[in-house]
Amino acid sequence: MNAMEAELQKLKEVSEMVTLYGPGIVRSLIILVVGLVLAKLFLKYSRLILRRLNLKEATLSVVVNVLFILIITLFVAMAAQFLGLKAMVIGRILVGISLVLIGIVVIFRPLIPTLPFKVGHTVKTGDLLGKVEGTTLMNTRIRTFDGKTIFVPHSKVLNDYLINYHLIPNRQIRIDFPIGYREDLLGAKAVLSEILAEDPRILKTPPARVFVINLNQDGVQLAAWSWVKNFDYWRTRCDLLEKIKLRFDHEGIGFGMARRLVHIQGASSEGRTGADNLVSSVEDKTA
Amino acid sequence: MDLKEAMKMIGAGWIQRPKGFRVRFDRRQGDQWISDAFPSEGEPLLTSDVMAWELARRFAEAARKEATGEAEGEISGITVVDDKGRPVTFYGTDGIHVLNPRVQA
Repeated sequence: MNAMEAELQKLKEVSEMVTLYGPGIVRSLIILVVGLVLAKLFLKYSRLILRRLNLKEATLSVVVNVLFILIITLFVAMAAQFLGLKAMVIGRILVGISLVLIGIVVIFRPLIPTLPFKVGHTVKTGDLLGKVEGTTLMNTRIRTFDGKTIFVPHSKVLNDYLINYHLIPNRQIRIDFPIGYREDLLGAKAVLSEILAEDPRILKTPPARVFVINLNQDGVQLAAWSWVKNFDYWRTRCDLLEKIKLRFDHEGIGFGMARRLVHIQGASSEGRTGADNLVSSVEDKTA
Repeated sequence: MDLKEAMKMIGAGWIQRPKGFRVRFDRRQGDQWISDAFPSEGEPLLTSDVMAWELARRFAEAARKEATGEAEGEISGITVVDDKGRPVTFYGTDGIHVLNPRVQA
């Protein structure tokens, strides 16, 4: 009987506890859930609104995340108050948690691998080129220039090579192409130099250069190297290619291309020497 | 002559790089032609002559109608100029081009 009484006593105590704290716990949970939903909605819409202010992506992320944390903290404090905790105690707990978190970050920061880019940077990792939209604990969100959003695990980013196009303000445009061996080389160099000199986006220093980079089966390999601001890179490169094609066509300078002359052993040997007929392999010849 | 002086002379005689480009055109107002351009003064210039010529071509197509040369608001003489108002050669032909030329009465 004593055991039965003890069990009943326990149940009574639990019932009293539920009666005493139950409504507070339920209210706290409701406040927490509502707070989380509101914070999520705030995160979504504030990002859209702030984007209209033309803030940098990195600044925008910091502002939105700080406001998100503040809203969550506010709702946690409210929930704690509904549980019966005093405001002073809640304040102390929050300050304590903040200090511990800051301490952890400060102490362990040298051990935490940092990503070699920030939100808003244009990067290339592996064969992926795009703009960093955001980072989470697990992955990096990259928006490619053809409109795809790709989530790349940090492990891949940290273990693969990565090019960050934002760390230097300028970028070199390299246009290498061949012209035929019989074309006017000096004329071609002059036209190329003019095209580079006329473009206002090409920087004066370092100066643009035109030179012969190779003599190979495609023809005389010309190189036109110039520097532009990062922002101008793609458009300037496309413009230069278009100008070179049209101006070279206009000037009658032919582009080089690999051609193959095939000598077939045993074919008609009229006008050819015996040595010619011995050539059975494929011979490369540029027009 | 030292190298620095020679380079300076070569630079002065070499192509003067424009700061940007505008599309210039003439608009008929009353009995006279008024010269106008876009982007207008104070607006940033176009930095690409390829884009400037493309805009000029589209502008010419949009402005082209039954050209009489006398109608109010008619647009003609569309070309690309640099920041100083000098005509810019078309990069494809290295020649000066005027789109939608004025109809001679």
